[in-house]
Amino acid sequence: MGTAVIVLASLYLLQRLLMPKYAADVVEGALIAEYYGEEKDHDVVFIGDCEVYENFSPAVLWQDYGINSYIRGSAQQLIWQSYYLLKDTLRYEKPQVVIFNVLAMQYNEPQREAYNRMTLEGMRWSRDKADAIRASMTEEEHFLDYVFPLLRYHSRWSELGAEDVEYMFHSPQISHNGYYMRVDVKPAENVPEGRILADYRFGENAWAYLDRITALCRENDIRLILVKAPSLYPYWYDQWEEQIEGYAAENDLLYINFLELVEETGLDFTTDTYDAGLHLNLSGAEKITGYLGEVLRQEAGLKDRRAEEHLARVWDGKIEAYEQEKERQYANTALDDSK
Amino acid sequence: MCKKTAAIILTAGLLALTGCGDSEKVIDGNIENVTTGSRSEEPTGEMESSQAPEQQAETAVSKGYVFEAGAVTVGVDADMAPVLQALGDPASYFEAASCAFEGLDKIYTYSSFEIDTYPQQDRDLVSAIILKDDSVTTAEGICIGDSLEKLQETYGDGVQENGMLVYEKDGMKLCFILQDDNIISIEYRSTAL
Repeated sequence: MGTAVIVLASLYLLQRLLMPKYAADVVEGALIAEYYGEEKDHDVVFIGDCEVYENFSPAVLWQDYGINSYIRGSAQQLIWQSYYLLKDTLRYEKPQVVIFNVLAMQYNEPQREAYNRMTLEGMRWSRDKADAIRASMTEEEHFLDYVFPLLRYHSRWSELGAEDVEYMFHSPQISHNGYYMRVDVKPAENVPEGRILADYRFGENAWAYLDRITALCRENDIRLILVKAPSLYPYWYDQWEEQIEGYAAENDLLYINFLELVEETGLDFTTDTYDAGLHLNLSGAEKITGYLGEVLRQEAGLKDRRAEEHLARVWDGKIEAYEQEKERQYANTALDDSK
Repeated sequence: MCKKTAAIILTAGLLALTGCGDSEKVIDGNIENVTTGSRSEEPTGEMESSQAPEQQAETAVSKGYVFEAGAVTVGVDADMAPVLQALGDPASYFEAASCAFEGLDKIYTYSSFEIDTYPQQDRDLVSAIILKDDSVTTAEGICIGDSLEKLQETYGDGVQENGMLVYEKDGMKLCFILQDDNIISIEYRSTAL
C-alpha cells in the first residue's frame, strides 16, 4: 500500500514538473484556470477567443459602471469550448449577462491540439470538461492524454527550465479578470482583404453550438449578447455579418458589431492596437469597453454595484494591480522606445 | 508487492516516460511545437550563398504544383527568404502574430498574387500562394476566368472539397473555386498547417 502511494506520488510530481506552466511564455494558456480562484458573483461573463480577452477590460466596467464582470476567454477558443465553459461557469454562478464573440463561428471542426490544450487543461475536471475534450480533439489526439497529461508531456524532459520548478504548484496571475493587458502600439497598416471563400455559410456544427449557447442562456434566464470585436484581421466577411444579424433577429438577441462602431467608440487604429489591427491595446480596449458598459447599463439594466462594500474592497485590490501593471508596461514601452 | 519490485517498476516507468523524446515532438513552454509530424517533409531551403537570387528561389522550391512569377518559381512549404530576395519588395506587407504563440504569419502582396508564410523555427515557409487576377497563370497555364472544361483538360477531374475543386500532389493542394463553371479563385496551399 505504502509503495503504491509512493509510486503514484512520484508520477504526480513528475506530471506537475513536466506540464507547461504558461508563466513566462504563451501566458494565455493560464487564463482559463485563473477563473477558479475568483469570487463567483459576476454580473457579466464573456466567453470566446482572443477577441474577448484582449479587447474588453472588466476594470473599466467596474470603475465606470459598477459592473462586476469576468472574461472566460482563451486563444482560438472554439464555439463548443465556449459552450462547455459556459456550462462549467454555471456550476459556480449565474451571471445576468453572457457575452459571446462570434468570430469563432468560422470554425466548424477541431483545429489544433496546441490551442485545445490552452483552453481545456485549465478547466477543472467535470463532465463539462470531459465533453469539451471529446468535442475538441483532433484525429491525432487521445482522451487519455488529457486525463494523464504526463503521457503527452513526458518528452518535455529535455526542455525543462527554472520556471517549471518555480511554478510547479502555483502560477503567477496573468490576467485582470480574464483581460490580457498590452499597452504597446503598432498601427494597423496594409490589412489584407479576405480571401475568396468557396462557401460563406457557417458550418452546421458551429450553428448547433450557438443554438445550445442560446438555449442554455434562455433556460437560466441569462441575457445573451453577441458581439464582434473590432479586430481588423482575420477578415470579417459581409456574408458572415448577414448570417449573425439574421440569427440575432430570429432569436431576439442583441448583437453589437464593434467594427461598425469605430466612430462612436472613438477607436483609432493608428494608436489603439498593439499588433496592427488584430487586437486592441489597453487604450483601445478601454474605449470599446466604455461603450459596452453604457449598453449594459441601458439595454440590460445592470445596476451599479460600487456601493457594495465587500465587492468594492475586492475591486480596490484588482484596480491597484491593474494600475501597477499599466505603469510597469508603459515604463517598459518607454524604455524600448528610448533604445 | 515488495519494495524492491515496486522500485524496479517505478524506475522502468520513469525511464519509459522520459526516454522516448525523439519519437514525438515536444510540447514545451511554447507549445506551438505540437505537431502531428506532417511538417516533417519540409524542405531544407538551404543553399549556397553564391547563387543568384533567381536560382536560390528555384532551389527553395519543394514539391507539388508550383507557381512561376516570371523567372522565379515558388512552391508551398519552401523557404520564403530566397523567394523574397528574387521577387523584391512586395506592393504591401502585413504580418499577423498568432494568438499566444511566438512567430508571425506574413502576407506579401504583389500586383497579381499574394504569398503567405508561416514561421518554422527561424525561417518563414510559404503556406499559400493566391493568384489575384487573370494576368498570372499557374505553371500549367490556368488563370482566373478560365472554364471548368479547360481546368479539367489541364489537371484532370480533381476532388470536390469544401466547395472547391482540389488537386493534391506531393503533400500540397492546388485549389480552385468556381462560379458558374468559371474559375474565380486559385490558391496553392500547404497541407502542413
